[in-house]
Amino acid sequence: MAKEEIKKGRTKPEDWPQDVYWKSGTYRERDGKASLDPARQCYPGQPSPPEDAVDEIDSPSEIPEEDLEPWFSREPSWHGRDAEKCRQYLDNLSDEEIINEYYKLRDEKVVWGGAYYYPNIKKLFLTPFEREKDRREIALWQKKYGKSETEEWYEEARDKSCVWWIENHLVAKHAFNSCMSCGTCTAACPAAEFYDYNPRLVMEIVQSRDEEKIVELLKSDTIWYCAQCGTCKLRCPRGNNPFAVISSLRQLSQLKGYHVYSTHGRQQYVGRHLWGGNYWNRGCSIYFRNTLLPFHLDFGPRFARYALNKDEMYRRVGGCPDMDGSMPGRKVHPDTLHQLRRLWQVGGTFVLWDQIEKYAREQAKEENMDIDDYFYKI
Amino acid sequence: MDERQMLSQDEYMTRQTNIYNVEARENIWRRYIKEIPEDGYFLLPSCVLAVGYPGSEATIPRLFDLLDLDWNWNLKPESMCTCCSGIAYHGDVDTIESTLLTTARLWSVAQEAGYETIAVACVTSFGVHSECFDLYREETGLKQKIDKLLMEACGRKFELPRYIVHVSDVIYKHRLRLRDEFMTYQLIEKETGRPLRGVDHVGCHYNKLFPLERSLGGGEYCEVLSGMIKAWGGKEIDYPERRHCCGMGFRQCMLTPNRGFTAASVNKKMVSMDPFEPDFIVTNCPGCQVYLDKEQWAIKELKGKEYFIPVLTYMELAGLLMGWDPYDIVGIQFHTVPVEPLLDKIGIPYDESRSWLGKDGQTLPCLDELREATLAAGRTMRGIPLP
Repeated sequence: MAKEEIKKGRTKPEDWPQDVYWKSGTYRERDGKASLDPARQCYPGQPSPPEDAVDEIDSPSEIPEEDLEPWFSREPSWHGRDAEKCRQYLDNLSDEEIINEYYKLRDEKVVWGGAYYYPNIKKLFLTPFEREKDRREIALWQKKYGKSETEEWYEEARDKSCVWWIENHLVAKHAFNSCMSCGTCTAACPAAEFYDYNPRLVMEIVQSRDEEKIVELLKSDTIWYCAQCGTCKLRCPRGNNPFAVISSLRQLSQLKGYHVYSTHGRQQYVGRHLWGGNYWNRGCSIYFRNTLLPFHLDFGPRFARYALNKDEMYRRVGGCPDMDGSMPGRKVHPDTLHQLRRLWQVGGTFVLWDQIEKYAREQAKEENMDIDDYFYKI
Repeated sequence: MDERQMLSQDEYMTRQTNIYNVEARENIWRRYIKEIPEDGYFLLPSCVLAVGYPGSEATIPRLFDLLDLDWNWNLKPESMCTCCSGIAYHGDVDTIESTLLTTARLWSVAQEAGYETIAVACVTSFGVHSECFDLYREETGLKQKIDKLLMEACGRKFELPRYIVHVSDVIYKHRLRLRDEFMTYQLIEKETGRPLRGVDHVGCHYNKLFPLERSLGGGEYCEVLSGMIKAWGGKEIDYPERRHCCGMGFRQCMLTPNRGFTAASVNKKMVSMDPFEPDFIVTNCPGCQVYLDKEQWAIKELKGKEYFIPVLTYMELAGLLMGWDPYDIVGIQFHTVPVEPLLDKIGIPYDESRSWLGKDGQTLPCLDELREATLAAGRTMRGIPLP
């Protein structure tokens, strides 16, 4: 059947020859090799099992996602996790032990569908075990690599005034020039409509250069309502960037520990481990299993059905769930991950994370709460 | 029926009130021309699309191969792509320097592979790459500082990329070619020949951050998605909250206690677009895709009103119109709002019994109540019988 016939739409899809690559959307061959190996979804050179390797598992659902130990549990203690046992176990592990155990679990692989599948990643994400490992590993990295110029800048900035920050932080100093308080940003802002939030007032407070007022602002919920959509930047008649000012104020609030005074601010501890933990361990901001079903009942029954069989459904459309490769759900190569981690260290993020961790622990201690329960409580 | 309702929106406006010249209005977006190169893209994947709609993301390299485009298919394994750190930056868990360094590394990887165009699949990425690029222009000495830090951390060098495009720009550029050479279906209702009414929802960070330099059509009249709808036979809808944010809001949607804000924003858009009876929504932002789709279920549970307008990404739309398998390739089973009613309207055949199968066609385990609920979702209000 000529391609021309198909192009002119004179035939039905069921009559098309099955090997016409473009009909089914398979990957084109270049230099005699498939550009992406559709069976394995790996680039040439990625780690892959030998051609004749037999599948070690029929389906990833054979390997349970949950582990009964409390340091792998994603539940708070009022849902049955033994917080004391968990804390005792984690505190008794040395740095080396916890780090080695984590990577040993992470890198364990089985052959599934002609490629390597890493079954333990789904057990490790967003657990007390991973958070403790991250904390210890980052402390070791700080000792090993020392401080970069940017880290020193952030450490100094931590102790300086808020007004100094607004005049010197890379984002804040380019974000606004001459706000005339017209209120167009507030009129267009989606957050202003649903929250008690007013970007015009925020800009006024920042421009007033009044240290006390700014500190009060940083301790309040106000700056955490912004949706970072950029509508204010589009609408501002003077080319200011209110949402970048908010972003800068949020960082300052965390550096100084003022974020724990507000309900929305203290959620940053979760943010640090959710997005930060994903970056540190998986090289992505959101891991495909982060949309845990109990927290996403608003996503409907079709989502629930998909959530129960993620690996299989991913593989069907050509993804790489917890597998090597470049498609959705992939496990990033360890060398790439190392580069990303070094960049984040050199960029000064550890200073921010240390502050978030420090103030979260202090608040958890004040409330007489285990740090992992604090994670769920906020 | 009231005669007013039978006119198209443009016809009504010009006939009744002469508020604007339709042709001039159609061409306003041309003021904001964006240079999109023909070939040679360094493709960067999206995190959020991988989480919610893996079929959509896997379709991007398929589309690129179909159009015979040169993209980065031959990378060495140790230089693979990472996330741009956009969500961490807008979630305020990393510093601007870390984000600058992460994007610089990606640019370095692209330049090593010989590409001067960065093509990103995610709109947050697009925003972050654009913002970083802009900061180098605004702050003197920043490039030298980042050069030094990048060399210190991972021994790489980088230059500012010549072009930063979004994958929807690429598909926009090739939309007529896709239509003429590969598409067998169009956005036309099979029975009546009526062009389907589509809502174009462009991600905020695509057209609002740098409307003049980076978006095709500017902040207000963004043409990237409505151009695709029009080229593929449909009709775009203009409605009051057209450029309203979907409400994803980074920390607002991803931290469960805050997600009411997202639902409220989606509701505002739904209420505004409902009188114009759209047949589908097309998005280019993965975040918008997830929340416009998912929060329609939340609105049903909270308000009792089923809007259930199918939300598709532009590559899913392209794939479906070319006749690619809806479940094996495009992945419409991942949608909360069922897309099957739209396929019925266009006349695309599909076998619904294949929707929830595994990779080798095996049935996946499921509770009976859940199976019934998934089949019923989205059909009850429109009176469509269950299969």
